[in-house]
Amino acid sequence: MVTNQPWPGRPADSDLAEPVPAIELRHATKRYGEAVALDDVSMVIQPGEFFCLLGPSGCGKTTTLNLIGGFIPLTSGDLLIEGHTVNDLPPHKRNVNTVFQSYALFPHMTVAENVAFGLRMEKLSKADIAQRTREYLELVGLSGLAGRLPAQMSGGQQQRVALARALAKRPAVLLLDEPLGALDLKLRKQMQTELARIHRQVGTTFVFVTHDQEEALSMATQIAIMSNGTVLQQGSPREVYDRPANRFVADFVGDTNFLAGTVRRDGGQAVFDVGSAVVDVQGDAEAGPATLMIRPEFLALRQGDATDGPRGLTARVVNVAFLGNHTRITVSTAAGEMVVVRPHGTRDSTADTQRELGEEVCVWWRTENAALIRE
Amino acid sequence: MARGTSPLETMPVSRFARQTRWSLIVLTGAMLAFLYLPIAFLILFSFEDAATPGLPITGLTLHWYQVLASDSAIQSALLTSIEVAVVVTIIASIVGTMVAFPLVRRGVRAPGLLRLGFTLPIMIPGFLIGIGLLIFFRQGLHPLIDVQLGLYTVVAGHLVFTIPFVVLIVASRLQGFDRRLEWAAADLGAGPWRTLRHIVLPLIAPAILAGALLCVTLSIDEFVITFFLIGPQQTLPLYIYTQIKFGVTPEVNAIATVILLVSLLAVTLGSILLTSSRRLRRRRAE
Ligand SMILES: Nc1ncnc2c1ncn2[C@@H]1O[C@H](COP(=O)(O)OP(=O)(O)OP(=O)(O)O)[C@@H](O)[C@H]1O
Ligand SMILES: [Mg+2]
Repeated sequence: MVTNQPWPGRPADSDLAEPVPAIELRHATKRYGEAVALDDVSMVIQPGEFFCLLGPSGCGKTTTLNLIGGFIPLTSGDLLIEGHTVNDLPPHKRNVNTVFQSYALFPHMTVAENVAFGLRMEKLSKADIAQRTREYLELVGLSGLAGRLPAQMSGGQQQRVALARALAKRPAVLLLDEPLGALDLKLRKQMQTELARIHRQVGTTFVFVTHDQEEALSMATQIAIMSNGTVLQQGSPREVYDRPANRFVADFVGDTNFLAGTVRRDGGQAVFDVGSAVVDVQGDAEAGPATLMIRPEFLALRQGDATDGPRGLTARVVNVAFLGNHTRITVSTAAGEMVVVRPHGTRDSTADTQRELGEEVCVWWRTENAALIRE
Repeated sequence: MARGTSPLETMPVSRFARQTRWSLIVLTGAMLAFLYLPIAFLILFSFEDAATPGLPITGLTLHWYQVLASDSAIQSALLTSIEVAVVVTIIASIVGTMVAFPLVRRGVRAPGLLRLGFTLPIMIPGFLIGIGLLIFFRQGLHPLIDVQLGLYTVVAGHLVFTIPFVVLIVASRLQGFDRRLEWAAADLGAGPWRTLRHIVLPLIAPAILAGALLCVTLSIDEFVITFFLIGPQQTLPLYIYTQIKFGVTPEVNAIATVILLVSLLAVTLGSILLTSSRRLRRRRAE
C-alpha cells in the first residue's frame, strides 16, 4: 500500500491561505529503457485550474497524463494528488479520471451504462446512480441518447459520453488527452466553448493535453509548454504569449518574427544591430548577441521614405494574403523575411493591407512590443 | 466489338475470360454439391421405407425414428457422448480462456514459441495423440498409479486437441482487444477482477462461446482418440462404427439427422443469445 503523507507542504503553523495543489510533480522522471520520456519535471497544478499541457508530438504530454492517471509507473521522483504521495497507488484508487484520446467507451454498454459504470464501482445506491447518470448526461447535452450504444454515435457525441463518464465520478482532477483531436474544425470550436462552460460549471481541476497552441491559449488558465520531456515554461496564456522564456516557446506559441543581431550601447541608449540596419530596443538592455522577437500583429508598414516614428527596416512586399478578418503581408528585409498581420477595420491597418507586391516600404514597431531573447 | 457495357467487362484480359469464368462457377457449384449432397442423402434415407436404403426411394416413413426412440443401446451411447462433450467443453473453455491471456499479453518470454506449442496438437494426427496418451496412461503413469481406461481418459484425450482451439480462438479475440478499455475501467474505479468480469469477459464472450461450440462438435464426433482411450463404454461414433459392420441401417441415418439438427440448433441458439442479450440490455437502459 501507499504511504499517505498527511498533507505535506502544509505544516500546521504555515499560511493556511496557500491551497494544497491538486497535482504536484517533484523531479518526475520516466524512462523507457534508454529513452527518456519525461526528464526531471517539477510542476504544480492548483485546484480549479484549466491547465493545458502544450507541446509538439512526442514531447511527453501523454506520458505525463498517464503518470498522473496511474497507468504507468514513475521511474523516479514523486507524484502528489491533493497533497498525498500516490506513486504506488493503482489507478482505480486515485481520485482522478481520464478522458482518453480514443474515448475508450465500453462498446458493449449503452451510453447510460458507460456513465453509470464508475458509479457502480463506487457501490452507490441504484437511485443515486440513476440520478447522477441523468445529471451528467444532461450536463453534456446527451439526455436523449442514453440508450444508444457507442457505435451508434458520432465522434463528437462519443467524446461527450467519455466526458460525462469521467465527470460523473466527481474527481479532484479531470485528465483530458487531446480530447478534441479527432473532431473536425467546426465541432472542435464548439466543443472548446462547451468544455470551458463545463469547467466553469463543475469547478474541477482540468488537465488538458493538446498540441494546438490556439486551443491552449483560448481555453487554459495556465499553460505548461513542454519539449523533449521537459517543461520549458509555465504561466498564464498572456504571460506565455507576451513574455516567452525562450525561442522555442516564442516559436511554438503564436507566430513570431525573429531578428538575430547584437545589442550595442549608443550613448545612454541601447540599440540593436541587424545586418546593416539599426533599430531601437528598450533602454535597459545589456550589450551582446541576442535575438529580437516581434509578434506579427505588432508590426506596421509605412512609406519607405517616411521618417516619422521609431526606426524601422527597409523592406519590399513579397506576398499579400487576404484572410477575411485580417491580411497577412510578407516582406523581405536585409535581416530576412518578416510576417506582418494587419486586422481590417482600423484606418491605419486597412491602408497597410492594400500594399502592392514589390512596393518598397518601411516595417516598424514600438520598442515596448519587441522582446529580447538571449540563448 | 465486345458486347459488355461496363468498361471493366470489355477489358481484354484473356480470350478465354468468359470460358474461365463459367468453368469456375460450375466448379463452385460442384464443390457445394460435394459438400452437401451426402448430408442431403443422409437425411433423405433416414425417411426411407426400405431396410436397405438406395435410390429410387420406395416410400417415406418415420419408422426409423421410432426404432431409434426404443433403442436403449444407441441412447446410452449418445448419452455417453454428451457426457464426455459437456465435461470436455466446460474444462476446455475455462482452461483455454485462461491460457489465452499470457499468450497475448506481455510478460511471456517467447510468445511465438508458446503459440506454436498450442497450435501443434491441432496438426498432430489423432491416432498419434491416442497412442501417445494410451502409452502415457498405461505405461508412463503405471509406476505411480494404475490408470483404468474409461471416460476420464477419453476426456483427457479430447482435451488435448480441443483446448488448442479455444486458446487460438480466444487469443485472436484478445489480440484485437483495446487495452485502453482496461485502463478506462481501472480509471473508473474497477480493480483487476471487476475489470475482468465487467469489461474483458463480456467482450471476449463471443470467442469463448464459439470455442465452446466447436468443442462440443469436435468432441461429439471424435473417433480415433476415443477408440484408443475408452474402456468398456461406447460413445456414439464408436457404437455406429460397430453397427455399420453389420450393414448400414436407416436407424443410423436417423440418429445422424437428429445430431445434425441439434448441432445446427445449438449454433443458431448461441448466436441468437449473443445478439439478443445485447439488444435486451439496450432496451432496458431506455
Ligand atoms: N511504451 C513506450 N515505450 C517506449 N517509448 C515510449 C513509450 N511511450 C512513449 N514513449 C516515448 O516517450 C516520448 C513521449 O511520448 P508521449 O506519448 O508522452 O508523447 P506526446 O507528447 O503525448 O506526443 P503526441 O502529441 O504525439 O501524443 C516519445 O518519444 C515516445 O516515443
Ligand atoms: Mg499523446
